[in-house]
Amino acid sequence: MSDTRLDDGVDTVPRSDAAYDVPEGATTYECGYCGRPFARESWLALHRGLEHPGALTDAEVAAFRTAHADEEESLGTFRLKALGSLILLYFGLLMVYALV
Amino acid sequence: MTVRRRRVVGSVLCAAVGLLAAGTASAHGGSLAGGGRETLTVPTWLFLSTGGAAVGASFLLASFVTDRSFIERVHAWGVPLASGGERGLVLAGRAVGLVGLVAILVTGFLGPTNARTNLAILLVWVGWWAGLAMTTYLLGNTWSVLNPWKTLAGLLPSLDRAYPDRIGAWPGVAGLLALVWVEVVSPLADDPRLLATVVVAYSVVTLAGAVVFGPATWFDRVDPVERVFRYYGRVAPVGRGDDGYRLRLPGMDLSTARLVDGADEVAFIVALLWVTTYDGLVTTPAWRDLTTPLVAAGLPAHLLYPLALVAGFGLFLGVYRLAVRAARRTAETYLAPAVLARRFAPPLLAIAAGYHFAHYLGYFLVLAPSLAVALADPLGSPALVPVLDLPGWFGGVALASVVVGHLVAIWVAHAAAYDLFPARLQAVRSQYPFIAVMVFYTMTSLWVVSRPEVPLPHL
Repeated sequence: MSDTRLDDGVDTVPRSDAAYDVPEGATTYECGYCGRPFARESWLALHRGLEHPGALTDAEVAAFRTAHADEEESLGTFRLKALGSLILLYFGLLMVYALV
Repeated sequence: MTVRRRRVVGSVLCAAVGLLAAGTASAHGGSLAGGGRETLTVPTWLFLSTGGAAVGASFLLASFVTDRSFIERVHAWGVPLASGGERGLVLAGRAVGLVGLVAILVTGFLGPTNARTNLAILLVWVGWWAGLAMTTYLLGNTWSVLNPWKTLAGLLPSLDRAYPDRIGAWPGVAGLLALVWVEVVSPLADDPRLLATVVVAYSVVTLAGAVVFGPATWFDRVDPVERVFRYYGRVAPVGRGDDGYRLRLPGMDLSTARLVDGADEVAFIVALLWVTTYDGLVTTPAWRDLTTPLVAAGLPAHLLYPLALVAGFGLFLGVYRLAVRAARRTAETYLAPAVLARRFAPPLLAIAAGYHFAHYLGYFLVLAPSLAVALADPLGSPALVPVLDLPGWFGGVALASVVVGHLVAIWVAHAAAYDLFPARLQAVRSQYPFIAVMVFYTMTSLWVVSRPEVPLPHL
């Protein structure tokens, strides 16, 4: 969150308690630099790389690289799906217009 | 809004979406003598689905942009504008605002009673609410300088009472709804005397509020008109940065993190969207058919309109809040709902601006010559008032503005989501519910303009 980003990411707690709302019993991966909780470990790794790039340990850098590579791969799949939906939408409407 | 104005609005927007739907231009939008809303050449469900699909397709297209640094570059781009001579411009602007207010009061009470020649009517509706509002989101917000009440309030003493923080912008939300209610149920665009009276009433409330709480607090937090223009100004390319004025890409200011700061301000944005719909909704046959039994059963008509206004606002706001809850699930985020609500409300302003432009550009162009004539001779009442005839292709401009409004909104929300979430797919998923809400708002508005128009029932 950019609000906390202003704090330079070092040793911060969220300014207001209301910034996060973690359901009870949920698995969280908390950022050691700013305390922001995430539902997945890979998101935490990405967050650390994006928000606290200067402060990372080597292990965290490696985790960021892995998470980033995985993300690229899933984005590729997503793009294909999005393209498919666009084509379906376009030709679907085209057909409907031809019929009515 | 007068029936005449609604007709221009309806025919232009219908022609616009008709173009989108059927691919053929068959309308002559914007003629004052023209009939009601255009009849569609495609079934209503298909017309609505096409509008919804256009929003969905825009979202899919935006989701192809996954380069974080590119998005950040686009949003951070800005050129500082040379400043200097600001003092003189501000003074001149304030003078223009004051002269405008005096002109409205004088011609409203003493000018011709014909709405087509009366300067007060033309200045308020054509010059200010259509023209100035359009410049606000196309160029930049000048109302904060022009605002004559602000200038007057600066001259008055102030009691500087503390403004209760917990009511925030809610009085402004109520004020916006109240102004729209008065505009819809009364012949405010037909009766210059009534218009001038309402302006006087607004002046009394505004100046009294500014005296009690201080002008800065009043115009920053309460006054709904000031807030509407300030929010529209956020869509504009020229804005105020940390150090002076700067030029940005249109709408990019909407992704700024702290633009909207609470549930009250979110509600104001949703109210702004809802009132454009309400304005047309009450002249549909469905509204008449739905309310006739209610009125027959004894519900007073003058209660019906404000009730519907508030209920519809509640519905729009409820739908938005549901979307926020849903976004927390689709994005699997632990960010509080309030954080998401604040961040994804400002993009809706681009949609509101797009609809405003589609509604009022034709209206403004048609009546601008009448305004010019009235400005040249404020108290005269010429028998013949010039109006502009708009060409048939004009509906396309309105269509384009509706589409551009949506594109900007989707892009800005996309950028805000990238800023908020570390994973890009998570950012895309967070948008699903908001896109559904945009589709809902769009289809509602399109449905309203696709209905034939009837006079306000029960009044």
